[in-house]
Amino acid sequence: MTSFFRGKISFAFKLVALLLIASVLISLTQSAIAQGEYFIAGFLAITVLLLALTYLTKVSIPLKFFLPGILLLVAFVLSPIIFTVTMSGYNYKTGNIISKDEAILQIKNRGFESDANGTSFDIKIGRYQAQEALLVSDSLNNSFFISTENDRIPLIPADLTINEYGVAESAPDFEILTDAEMATADEIYSLKRFKYQDEYFIALEGFEVGIVSRQVLSYDEVKDQFNNIVSGEVYTDNGKGNYAIEGSPDQYLEPGWRAPVWFENYTKLFTEERLRGPLVSVFIWTVTFASLSVITTFALGLLLALALNKPIRGRRIYRSILILPYAMPSIMSILIWGGMFNTEFGAINNLLGTDIAWFQSALFAKFAIILVNLWLGFPYFYLVSSGALQAIPSELLEAAAIDGANPRQIFRQITLPLLLQILSPLLIASFAFNFNNFNLIYLLTGGGPRAELDGELAGATDILISFTYKIAFGSSVQDLGLASAISLVIFLLVAGISMYGLRKSKVLESFQ
Amino acid sequence: MGFSSRILFWSTSLVFYTLVNTMNPWRKLMTKKRLSAVGFVAAVAIAVSGLFVPSASAADEIVVWADGDRGPNLVKVLAEKGDWVAGYKITVKSFSNFEALKDAFDKATDASGPDIVMGANDWVPTGAKSGKLAPITLTASQKARFTAGQLFDLTYKGKLYGVPVDVNNVAMIYNTDLVTTAPKTFGEMVAFYKANKASKSLKAGLCVAGGGMSWGAHSIFSALGADAYQFDSRDKIVYNRSFNGTTFGKNVRTYLLDGKKSNGFLPASDAGCGDNFKDGKVPYAIIGNWEWKDYVAKGFTMNLMPVPGVVAGKPGKMFGSVSGALLTTFAAKHGVEAGAKSLLTNFFGSTDGQVRYQKIEGRPPAEKGAALDVTVSAAQRGFGAAATLSSLPQIGAFLNNNAGGANYWDSAPAYWTAVLVDGKDPVTEGNKLAAIWRANTSAGKADL
Repeated sequence: MTSFFRGKISFAFKLVALLLIASVLISLTQSAIAQGEYFIAGFLAITVLLLALTYLTKVSIPLKFFLPGILLLVAFVLSPIIFTVTMSGYNYKTGNIISKDEAILQIKNRGFESDANGTSFDIKIGRYQAQEALLVSDSLNNSFFISTENDRIPLIPADLTINEYGVAESAPDFEILTDAEMATADEIYSLKRFKYQDEYFIALEGFEVGIVSRQVLSYDEVKDQFNNIVSGEVYTDNGKGNYAIEGSPDQYLEPGWRAPVWFENYTKLFTEERLRGPLVSVFIWTVTFASLSVITTFALGLLLALALNKPIRGRRIYRSILILPYAMPSIMSILIWGGMFNTEFGAINNLLGTDIAWFQSALFAKFAIILVNLWLGFPYFYLVSSGALQAIPSELLEAAAIDGANPRQIFRQITLPLLLQILSPLLIASFAFNFNNFNLIYLLTGGGPRAELDGELAGATDILISFTYKIAFGSSVQDLGLASAISLVIFLLVAGISMYGLRKSKVLESFQ
Repeated sequence: MGFSSRILFWSTSLVFYTLVNTMNPWRKLMTKKRLSAVGFVAAVAIAVSGLFVPSASAADEIVVWADGDRGPNLVKVLAEKGDWVAGYKITVKSFSNFEALKDAFDKATDASGPDIVMGANDWVPTGAKSGKLAPITLTASQKARFTAGQLFDLTYKGKLYGVPVDVNNVAMIYNTDLVTTAPKTFGEMVAFYKANKASKSLKAGLCVAGGGMSWGAHSIFSALGADAYQFDSRDKIVYNRSFNGTTFGKNVRTYLLDGKKSNGFLPASDAGCGDNFKDGKVPYAIIGNWEWKDYVAKGFTMNLMPVPGVVAGKPGKMFGSVSGALLTTFAAKHGVEAGAKSLLTNFFGSTDGQVRYQKIEGRPPAEKGAALDVTVSAAQRGFGAAATLSSLPQIGAFLNNNAGGANYWDSAPAYWTAVLVDGKDPVTEGNKLAAIWRANTSAGKADL
């Protein structure tokens, strides 16, 4: 059997597996290059190289085991963290998504205005004296001309073929493009400005219509500013991703671009009352929710584990039933609980004979959330507590009993401290998980109730992560930079609390 | 193999070759046999990967993105007649639903983005701000095919970003098994509910099945005195003046409350409304034009009407908006801008195009000629007529962007909850809603 993994078949198998993986990765690399995602392309290309080096050479045997994990860690953990940290220093929101070059191009493209009468002409696309040109019909005035980029050549109607709608179909020396030619010439003609009069030009609005317009905004590359040719207004880079009129920050051009604003998103959290107020209350509820969730789930799980730790009839059945909530997808459970809490049709109000609007009252909504999380979380602590109880040496308990300790004393003085020592990392992990328990909040209450009429930004049951989601994606205006900054603050909070907890429980030392 | 692939292949090979030949420890490890294997893997992998790489759209191809309903119907229409823009092939990409389409469009890149996207009117402000939508200028005759309000819906800061295709509106229907004649006033409906609540086991009097408690329920707001916009003597919207919150609140107290509690006539949420109406447990319901087929299938008459006002002859006005075919900035990058603009005017914005499309899609056409076409269904025409008679522009540009600190779309449903569930004072809450409206409209008018 061992020879199977070392022989030619093994090498061939390895080669085929590498080949398939490399094929997929290289195709992804090409897609990434095509979409301008050069960092991703670079990472994928390096991945292919590393895979080939690691598995086709003996450069490092341990690396053969670690490399997939390392690559996945970089791709799905480190990269998002780096991206989040980077974006938290940018003005990155609706209206400031694209690059500066792209923004300049689009402002130029939009920086025109139609003439006061909204003049438009029927046109034919073609070539005149080897230049791109339009055969223009001013049907209202029975006037016709050919327009190139620099010239406007008047035509005599008698020289033209004119259809029943008064549109010129052909003219001397004007070669109309065929259907196939039009598609290939689209880009060239769309970008051209054809001569009309004074500063006005004719621009294509489809292949049949030309609109008379003039450029209003011109870009001064040297000064990096836009000038409004008509009003004389000057729009300069405001350092926050927009061209704005100096002294009038509200008067800016769109679209803007992603621009570095360094720590502005962080300072906003503390200086803007709109954010600071809700952030404090949300933080308090987040800590309360995470703590209560851990305490209640651990308490119930431990209680059940203790109850079933001794042999009783039907213990296996009880155990199977108790882990059912854990086996069921949590999303399903949350949605079912959401239905059960419905004011009018919910099972809970029907059973209690009440008409409590569970999700309209802050207190009831918080209670509902803790209750549902207890349902979802106790089987986990039941399982780990059961396992941990088995790990406590029975001699200790027997010795305590011989010394005259009653069961309550044995539990408080021996079982619980030992359990806490064993389970501390899991309790801290559970706290960190609940600190960011987005699914429960989003699916059960949506963060509500929220007094929208009083202008509240956060709901009574919003935790930091759901509040962040609201800021990032909750309305049509998405502030991804600010949301990244809050995410980073959450990360630091969770990391700090977890580190503190681990140190306090001295578990780290026991691992050393 | 494309140019970028060749560059990638040769640069990867070069880097790899340099690595293995310059680093001493590796030179020993890399036997010729292994090097050949590496080369073989690299060559075959690159060759095979070429099979998976999606080809970029051709220069004569216009790509349209639509949701799971509109997309397949567009494909059918274009299969019947595809030569709307000579020389171009039109490709439709469908997404499972409207949210998936929006999500994909938000993430679209130069390489992957569509040339035209069939989106809602409230996509226009964000799409234009973010540089994903491009303006289009219509001629006077092209503009005349639509109402000013419809074009206004797809306009942002004075520029139009697409052509209106579907009218999105709601109307009230009543169950003829419960109610024999059309109600003339709001009070008449409430009286009917109170008189028949017990005997007919009614769960509510009027409920909102389509459009939600903000957009869909606006005709109830309006019927009770909270009209969205105040107009001056020249029919221009006055942006800094809102409805009278006190008058509205008093009407709510009169018609929807018994003391401080809801009288049960209007549920605070839209949950279960459609089913309750279809089960004969609610006599009046507000439905959206996108769902009328469900009601027809259940045998209901399309006796569409506006929500009656507190005074006869002054019905509540509904929000009317349009979905449109929107031009993207990707069209110019793909070199099909003129073709895409032609497709917008020749197909999406034409009578012929909209009649063909809406016969299959079943929504009220936005284009005037198509809306009057005898071949579209009575329900489509009914909704279209209702929209023409009593609809208000939605102006998502400022009602959905937190201009002024809060937004109307979130706040309006909260009014019903505060008053009908939490028992808060309807006048106080009405004044708060009016204040949010004022803040939204006065802060957001710069976006128009």
